[in-house]
Amino acid sequence: MKDEHIISLIENASLASLSENDLKAIYAHAKDCSTCFQALQAAQVSQLLLKERAALEFEPSPFFHTRVLAALRERQAVNDSWAFGRLWRTAGALASSMVATVAALAFLTFAIPDTQVVSQVGSVGSSYSAEEVILDQASPTEEVSEGQLLTTIYGGDE
Amino acid sequence: MELARSAREGDESAFEEIMRRYSPRVFRYAGKFFKQRSLVEEAAQEVFLKAFTELGSYEGRGSMEGWLTRITTNTCLNLLRNSKRRPELTLSDLTEDQTDWLDKNLTRAATQQHQSTERSLVAADLAERVLQTMPADDQLVLTMIDGEDASVKDVAELTGWSESKVKVQAFRARRRMREAVEKLLAGTRGRRQNLGGARS
Repeated sequence: MKDEHIISLIENASLASLSENDLKAIYAHAKDCSTCFQALQAAQVSQLLLKERAALEFEPSPFFHTRVLAALRERQAVNDSWAFGRLWRTAGALASSMVATVAALAFLTFAIPDTQVVSQVGSVGSSYSAEEVILDQASPTEEVSEGQLLTTIYGGDE
Repeated sequence: MELARSAREGDESAFEEIMRRYSPRVFRYAGKFFKQRSLVEEAAQEVFLKAFTELGSYEGRGSMEGWLTRITTNTCLNLLRNSKRRPELTLSDLTEDQTDWLDKNLTRAATQQHQSTERSLVAADLAERVLQTMPADDQLVLTMIDGEDASVKDVAELTGWSESKVKVQAFRARRRMREAVEKLLAGTRGRRQNLGGARS
């Protein structure tokens, strides 16, 4: 042990937790090894620094509880407003989608059937108009033929 | 448990009672990780805000003190992780009091002598400065094991780490701290030699 470096030993556990035998061996080695002596010295100072730091104690201030409760209420208010905002946004989205649906339905109800009716009417109309075309074609033919007939009758008399 | 149930149901006075009972303990514990009072207060406040939101997860199996200590450990660790790490510390970064403390302790480091309150504050301040150059996890294990004499098992339970992780972390942290202090002590030795040479 005396010839072995003790650095790993002082890094494995805190100095305070080392056994009496380990400490004796460490000191015996550090006496003749300057590297380990400096490492031991640094470990001892580190230990002392950490102990002094741990000895510092803080107590809560008299206003601490009031401050935490105020922070809690503030956080809850933020959460509530956030929840309300989220609800509002959700409701807005729902309302817009409903309006869009109603508009789409209205369009489907009124515009598309109209088109179909118009197209049906158109097609019917076109059938009528086909007849009309025929009739129209027929009537002038008739009128012409009547005129021609009259002209033929009376013109003939004159 | 009754208090926790009432607080969970929105009884503010029950939560206030929890704070009144446990805030001294939370403050003392958070004070091990931060030297500035404002940071300790910030950590303690965060602990109770978290505790309030997580009251539902407290089933009353363990003590409330243990439950709050776990929350405090994790809150302090998160705050340490969020704080900026300082660059390596050199002797010229230290105050005269801190250099003087190191110089005195070079000669009597082998025995942990009782120090005056003023000197203890200098040491605590110096410890804080050295720790700030190290990663948050190192700061945590050193403070708990070497500072507070907590066992590896305790640290593992409080942090949720495995015992082997705590051991490895503590080993590395001790090495980093020792190396940082060794550099400062070497600087102090050099300074002492220079002063001795100038006098002769």
